[in-house]
Amino acid sequence: MIIEMKNIKKSFGGHDVLKDISFGVDSGEVVSIIGPSGSGKSTLLRCATFLETIDGGEIIYMDQKAAYTGTDGKAVYVQPNELRKFRSYCGLVFQQFNLFPHYSVLKNLTDAPIQVQKRSREEAEETAMELLEKMGIADKAKAYPYQLSGGQQQRVAIARALAMKPEILFFDEPTSALDPELTGEVLKVIRQLADEKMTMVVVTHEMPFAKAVSNRVIFMDGGVIVEQGDPKDVFENPQEERTKRFLRVFER
Amino acid sequence: MTLSTMFLTMAAGMLRTCGIFALTLLGSLPLGMIVALLKKSRFSAVRALIDIYISVIRGTPLMLQLLVWYFGPYYLFGWSIRGWRFPSLIIGFVLNYAAYFAEIYRGGIESIPVGQYEAAEVLGYTKAKAFMRIILPQVIKRIMPSVTNEVITLVKDTSLAFTLAYQEVFSLAKQISASQTSFMPFVIAGVFYFIANYAVAFGMKRIEKALDYYR
Repeated sequence: MIIEMKNIKKSFGGHDVLKDISFGVDSGEVVSIIGPSGSGKSTLLRCATFLETIDGGEIIYMDQKAAYTGTDGKAVYVQPNELRKFRSYCGLVFQQFNLFPHYSVLKNLTDAPIQVQKRSREEAEETAMELLEKMGIADKAKAYPYQLSGGQQQRVAIARALAMKPEILFFDEPTSALDPELTGEVLKVIRQLADEKMTMVVVTHEMPFAKAVSNRVIFMDGGVIVEQGDPKDVFENPQEERTKRFLRVFER
Repeated sequence: MTLSTMFLTMAAGMLRTCGIFALTLLGSLPLGMIVALLKKSRFSAVRALIDIYISVIRGTPLMLQLLVWYFGPYYLFGWSIRGWRFPSLIIGFVLNYAAYFAEIYRGGIESIPVGQYEAAEVLGYTKAKAFMRIILPQVIKRIMPSVTNEVITLVKDTSLAFTLAYQEVFSLAKQISASQTSFMPFVIAGVFYFIANYAVAFGMKRIEKALDYYR
């Protein structure tokens, strides 16, 4: 498994956002996480990418523990310099893109590989151009983020995450900030990555996309995994009442 | 005193004015950043100390602060203040302007969306590298108008050096005007200040333009 999260607990100010969640992702697997807002989907991604610290449980990347429950029941993380290694295993694509506005598209893709991973400029730029080519925006390499459409910006953000050569890529509602006519171009590149067997976890409200692209769908609500399984089963034959109610909203 | 002697004397004073101006910026621009970062320190004692420093500096007149820095060592410790005039002047200006710059920096740093920090964190930048490469360049662009304001105020504030009888252009204008019973020195001083600020505004505009390549 690329990542394994066991018995994850996380609360904000007394409110339990994640209640004992466990899940894992195999290499090459594409997992969609669906569920109403406030169900803990984003928090789960943020915990997996170390933007939030868990209160309890285990986070295991490539069979190595990044966090585990200590003797006092609280989560213990590895040392900061070791945590950097774990960060390099995962990439995250944000809902709001979060590109660096003062860097050109190319530099957005090359700065972290050069500064963080100490790769050579030539190698970083070559990788970056290949990725931009794949995203269909190679002609925008010299442009600045503000000059791009939302869909193009999100494709740059995906390329930026891929430039770090992560083992797994997380998407936090990658199309929610986009106009409807721009979501297609972003979903297309994610689908393309799925075809190339990139390991991905996608939090999304795009049900047709989740159904078509993922190998597994997880339905979350109230900080727990209510139901999960093959997308066909979950979407067409949900077992839990809560899942049925949620999916009915999308049928209208 | 001929007009040209008057002009030359005052031009020499203007050089000293520029000296105060340049040294103050050289000291207060970086010091302000240190103060701004200390204000975000995780030690509450440090934050409290910085708060006191900023409120005292902002709550008292710069003129008074200059007098305290100059005469303080004598009255408090009985030390000789010979040769202390110029150093105390620069200390007073630097500490005063650093407080104001610190508040400008803090405002700028806090205006950067949290997503920028998170993107940098996920990409593995260390905190220091994220600040220097991702946050600071954006902060500088955002605070340029406020900094310009402050720098222009500084050009005029240098005239407060007259309280310590430092022979910059304003002190000289007052002295020459009194001794020659002439209004001319004030006119010349006014022209000098205006030209200096015109140059400052021009320079700052150029910098703002250079940062205009992104939004």
